[in-house]
Amino acid sequence: MTKTWLRGLTGLALMAGAVACNTDNITTANRNPNNPTSAPAGALFTNATASAVRRWVGFGGAAIIAQQLANTTYPTADSYISLQADGTSGTFNAPYTGDLQDLRQVISKGRASGDAGVYGPAMVLQTWDFSYLTDQWGDVPYSQALKADSSVATPQYDAQKDIYAGFFVTLKAAADAMAAQAPGAPGLGGSDPIYSGSLDKWRRFDNSLRARYALRLINVDPTTANAQLQAAFSDAGGVFQSNADNAKLVWPGDGVNDNPFSVTLKTRDDARLARTMTSLMTNDPRLKVYGQPVVDSSVYSGGYGGMPSALNQDSANVWYRKASRPGAIFYPGVTSYGTFGTAAGAKTPSYLMTYAELLFIKAEAAERGLGGLSAGEAAADYNNAIRASMDQWGVTDAAAISAFLASPAVAYKGGTDGLKQIATQKWIALFSDDAQAWAEWRRTCQPSNVIPGPATIVPYIPRRYYYSTTEASVNAANLNAAIARQGPDNFGTRIYWDTKPTAAPTCQ
Amino acid sequence: MKRLLVAVATLAGSMFALPALSQAQSATISGRVTAETGEAIPAVTVSVPTLSVGGITDETGRYSFVIPAARLTGGQITVVVRRIGYGSKSLAVTPHVGATTSADFVLSALINRLEGVVTTALGVQREKSQLGTAQQEISAKDLNNAPAQNFVDQLAGKVSGMSVTSSGTPGASTKITIRGSNSINGDNNPLFVVDGVPVSSDDRGGSFNVGSLSNSASAGLDLGSVINDINPEDIASVSVLKGPNAAALYGSRAANGVIVITTKHGANSDSKLRTSLTSTYTWDSPSIYMDWQNLYGQGSGGNFAYVNGAGGGINDGYDQSYGPRMNGQLIPQFDSPVVNGVRQATPFIPHPNNADSFFQTGHNIANTFAVSGGTDAANGRLSIGNSNVQGVIPNNTFRTLTTALAGNFRIGSKLSTSGSFQYVQATAHNRPGQGYNTGILEQFIWFGRQVDMSELKAKQYDANGNLYNWNTNFHNNPYWLQYDNPEYDIRNRLIGSASGTYTINNWLSATLRGGQDYYNWDINRDFAAGNIQYSDPNFAGAFSAANQTNTESNVDLLLNANKSFTDRLTFNGLLGGTLRRNTFGSSNIATSGISVPGIYNVSNAGITPTLQQFASDRRVNSVYESGALTWNNWWTVEATGRTDWSSTLPIGSNSYFYPGVNTSMVLTNAMPSLKSKVLSYAKLRGAIARVGSDASPYQLQTVFQGSSTKFGSLPQFSLSDNLANANLKPEQTTSSEVGAELAFFDSRVTLDASYYDKETKNQILNLVIPPTSGYSTQAINAGQISNKGFEATIGANVLKSEKGINWTSTFNYAKNKSRVVSLTPGLSTVVLGTQRSASVTATVGQPYGELTGYTFLRDSNGNLLTQNGMPIRGPLAVLGNVNPDWVGGWNNEFKLGRVTASFLLSFHEGGKFFSNTNMMCDQSGMCANTLKGREVDWNNPGIVVKGIDQTTKQANTINVTSEQYFQSLWLINQAYTYDDSYVKLRELRIGYDLPSRFAQRFNSHSMNLSLVGRNLWTHTNVPNIDPEFTYNTGNAQGLEFAPMPTTRSIGLTLQVTP
Repeated sequence: MTKTWLRGLTGLALMAGAVACNTDNITTANRNPNNPTSAPAGALFTNATASAVRRWVGFGGAAIIAQQLANTTYPTADSYISLQADGTSGTFNAPYTGDLQDLRQVISKGRASGDAGVYGPAMVLQTWDFSYLTDQWGDVPYSQALKADSSVATPQYDAQKDIYAGFFVTLKAAADAMAAQAPGAPGLGGSDPIYSGSLDKWRRFDNSLRARYALRLINVDPTTANAQLQAAFSDAGGVFQSNADNAKLVWPGDGVNDNPFSVTLKTRDDARLARTMTSLMTNDPRLKVYGQPVVDSSVYSGGYGGMPSALNQDSANVWYRKASRPGAIFYPGVTSYGTFGTAAGAKTPSYLMTYAELLFIKAEAAERGLGGLSAGEAAADYNNAIRASMDQWGVTDAAAISAFLASPAVAYKGGTDGLKQIATQKWIALFSDDAQAWAEWRRTCQPSNVIPGPATIVPYIPRRYYYSTTEASVNAANLNAAIARQGPDNFGTRIYWDTKPTAAPTCQ
Repeated sequence: MKRLLVAVATLAGSMFALPALSQAQSATISGRVTAETGEAIPAVTVSVPTLSVGGITDETGRYSFVIPAARLTGGQITVVVRRIGYGSKSLAVTPHVGATTSADFVLSALINRLEGVVTTALGVQREKSQLGTAQQEISAKDLNNAPAQNFVDQLAGKVSGMSVTSSGTPGASTKITIRGSNSINGDNNPLFVVDGVPVSSDDRGGSFNVGSLSNSASAGLDLGSVINDINPEDIASVSVLKGPNAAALYGSRAANGVIVITTKHGANSDSKLRTSLTSTYTWDSPSIYMDWQNLYGQGSGGNFAYVNGAGGGINDGYDQSYGPRMNGQLIPQFDSPVVNGVRQATPFIPHPNNADSFFQTGHNIANTFAVSGGTDAANGRLSIGNSNVQGVIPNNTFRTLTTALAGNFRIGSKLSTSGSFQYVQATAHNRPGQGYNTGILEQFIWFGRQVDMSELKAKQYDANGNLYNWNTNFHNNPYWLQYDNPEYDIRNRLIGSASGTYTINNWLSATLRGGQDYYNWDINRDFAAGNIQYSDPNFAGAFSAANQTNTESNVDLLLNANKSFTDRLTFNGLLGGTLRRNTFGSSNIATSGISVPGIYNVSNAGITPTLQQFASDRRVNSVYESGALTWNNWWTVEATGRTDWSSTLPIGSNSYFYPGVNTSMVLTNAMPSLKSKVLSYAKLRGAIARVGSDASPYQLQTVFQGSSTKFGSLPQFSLSDNLANANLKPEQTTSSEVGAELAFFDSRVTLDASYYDKETKNQILNLVIPPTSGYSTQAINAGQISNKGFEATIGANVLKSEKGINWTSTFNYAKNKSRVVSLTPGLSTVVLGTQRSASVTATVGQPYGELTGYTFLRDSNGNLLTQNGMPIRGPLAVLGNVNPDWVGGWNNEFKLGRVTASFLLSFHEGGKFFSNTNMMCDQSGMCANTLKGREVDWNNPGIVVKGIDQTTKQANTINVTSEQYFQSLWLINQAYTYDDSYVKLRELRIGYDLPSRFAQRFNSHSMNLSLVGRNLWTHTNVPNIDPEFTYNTGNAQGLEFAPMPTTRSIGLTLQVTP
């Protein structure tokens, strides 16, 4: 009997020994071999830049709403059906969990190492990123956003007025920090795919963005607008000086990192230039860059022209061969669907902000006598803005440019008419930065031929997008507070800077 | 040949140990156990209880065991045979040292499956009457009644409390749940155990969304579960332990129940060879076809003319069938001849069978050949099986090759060893895509009703070498898809285990067991140039190649005690420990562009490929114990306990203990006076247990994710969207159950019923949090789900006559009510899955699996509101719950002489699901119901929706076209939500036992030829689709889009039993 128990106990002892030997494995087996718990700031910055630009300067619904592009076969964006909450929630969610969060990580890493060459550009880019959210949705989480790791799991929605105030504070802080950057600090260097680490250029971008946001408040808060324009123009870092300063992302075009327009257009060939835009581009040499020759010239004998926006399926499909495809720079060599020629369009850069836009901002500020500028300067800025845009889009025919500038509709008239001309030409120059084109139309009501098409589900042009369905399900209290403050969550509610249309000289 | 086979079988037995030792100084008892009908009964326990010795019969019903001379008293001993489902018998024999005494038994089948020996946790054989927990056993015969494409499908309808949902593709997923879902986001599938060793049931299910090549090798495909690898012909019995109570000894993974599989082993055959053979041939076809309309062809607004299929003609870019009525009028079509560059007009006529003709009769040929035998000391079984499925669509095959080798070896009278080894190779070619874009059915939901399928079959390229199809915007030619875009995956699987049991004395034994389950899976998908979904049009094709390797190893040491203290008190006890390790590794290469056509190799990538690599390691150490005391053969009380240490939980709090207690009382033994003509057996049982569950590996730290593709030359990193939690605790399921097992009328009617109540709390959730917080999910411990349910098996021997007719009938019933008790403060809903705005959720206060979606907009009186004559999409609302009210299976077997006939009806009552297929079919005008409003000409359109105009507040009077009406229902999920009730004739078998002279000619004992059928008939109110569908074994069921319908198969099976 004793022997039996001894055998049993021996077995147990063996087992216990085996378990004990394995204790070490139990504690080490859970070390993740796949992913690190820390990553280089530069690699985060590169990724954040690419994903933010891919989204905001891609081919989004704003191109359809702003009527720079329209769809033929299944025009569900034209009718706004696919731009309702189901269609845009992902676009709202992605920056928060993606690039905005990654830029927050870059900023904190840069701060920790005291390198303004790391956190300065990240602050500028993060502000640029946030502005696309607030300009398209209105009130959004800003001051409490991105902080689930610091116990803010359900962020409040900030009023757009406060978000814009935050932009100015952040941009000034970033500009000041970059100005004070210690020589020899490594910065982002080559990990910065926009300016390769040049802080001089980042400061110009920073100040140019301040001017963009200042002007956006012109109808609701002209005092702030004026003050911020002045601050932007007088900052020691300066604003854009030429197209060489353009904030742009050059795509590698390797099939993985391609120009987002080329990605969309190579898989769906039903986008065409909108007639709203092409009808304003008579004699405009950029038309042949923005679009391709029509296949069937029965409507446009000149070979270029757009289709009406928001048609129903039957009438939209008629335009398949009769309207211009978006330009060859996005997908060259198209003859019919499925044959796309080379991949050169994949390398076309995306613009975060251009010198042309900055000059249009200056022209408008001058015409309004803001930012320390005077009305007399407006014409020169306006003409230079158009020339800069021509240059940016690769138009080199000087005679054609001069003829265009001299044409009756374009030649600068000054006053309210001048403001309308500035707004219209700026809107045309913003082609492919569709969210800016939509925002500028809302602010200025120019061009005035942006009117709802026959097949839209609301009888007006949307003033904003619906909020995210994910937020509605898991951040309802904060979202509802924002809706209570801003107005119903639909296409028609106007966001903060869009609430005083009468103050804009160009609106009814 | 025969000699070779004997040698192989003997080798099988002896490979696990040294050559046979002398059997002197002992006596041997051997014999055969058969049923009254003459068939062999495997897995019968044959023992001499007074001497604590015994054995188990093999698949030929033969057994043999040795009695050490020391235990022989010289007189007669009583040999007892017991098997669940049969009346037990005993026989007095006189053993002699150095000799073999023969004892054969003929058992009568009982409908009563309440008494006898069954397999329980850790492979321990126990008397069912002493179990305090619910357990149901399926014999090999019942399991293999009507062969399906995998053995899990064959469980459907046979176990109360278990729900089985099959899919229609060979080798695809089967969703199985026992007693409802416990975990909100976690795994709700049961644990599978083969010969005492847990095996993987990893699932690579598909989804209805096309997915990205670089993220998932299974994008759009259902690659199925690896549990399908088990050859059902190698299974001796399946024991289902239904709740945590029965399964507490299996640890973390037992919360969802355990399916214990015992494979066939060899037995003593006096060195004679025994062979068995099962051959099956079935013809398969889709169980349901869509109900197409055949009056109107491709186009929109009644107009169509083809130029280039891309909008060049009239509506020729449209893939919908709201075109002209097909009257034979002349219209240019994709297959019309082109003369001098002008496409000629040809008759526009319907091709009613165009989509259906793509399907073909599939074939399934399955053979298993086994040899077994040996001596009492060394015996084994070797089987080779193959199954070759040709799918119901062209060029789709699924093949499996299985080999199983199992043996027992005894050294002396104290040490017995056994081992089993299975090798499986499963090869699939061109598994059909499901859901959007890749799906075969999706191809036809959007189709021209005039399209001549034979044209697409005849050629996939035109004279110029361009892809040839009726539509080039949205679809690939379906034949081209199946022939020129190969998918092929190969899985090699090894399951092996070996164990040795040392008999310490007549009541204590020790077992050491080691087992490993390993598979390696290559999944390759190639896409030819021009494939609309994956291939960059600037390149010559695309591909993805994935490799996955999984191992699970377990080492157990068990002490088993079986002691009678007095005549009245017996003890069954177990003490043990397990070391478990799981490792998984995967790699994936994907590119959307290759340079040279046809070379799907990374060296040919024209576009920088996306590369992915993943490895994980999980270790769990456990100790556990159980002890059962049985008083006077009627009252048993058992206590179980287990502690796990898991590597996936925070150091310092990585161990968790879970206890359990259960009791069983056989009232008819306690008070024999209870027995009457009516009541022949009564047992009550009750149990309560707690089971813990750990996290997946690497959930404790938030990480950064790198990307293998550079931005130009710049590396890229991004913070994970999942916020980790360094303080995770184990999940906890507490379950209690009470049950009654009753037999009436001399055991001709039996009832085995349970009521259970489970609560799972501290759930490890990757909770969806506001994206604006910077993360999309957060790992937390929260949430509580309760499941309460009732399950019952009623059996009746309805007819039993002296003339030999015998009718038995069994009904399995299960009803489960779940409730999401809580999630986390401030959170009321977790979305489990979404399809076209319809979501399946866990919502506080509601049953698990709530289906929500958009409704029709109605006024306060419930009237439908209209705008421009069409219904309006209203708010999101609950549309029902995806889980059935109850499920059941009714099995009947009739036997008359040599003929046996049986059928199994399975019932699925209630539950709702959203059908995107039907919504799409309305959008496309393909289905017959979209003829509504088209019967009149297009200038006089015909639908006036009954409703109130939203603007005028008057009754709607606006006529809209059929096209406008049906397309206005887009995303009104309510319009496409259906009651998921159905009845299926799941199995049918009519068998004939061939006269024994035939069998003898093949040196075998019996031969049976049967006609078998599966899914022969379905009753449902759901239009167009099979209401039984699944894409994976995940939690988001109830969302339907273009799955393959389940197959209806009919065939022949020949069984040769030695």
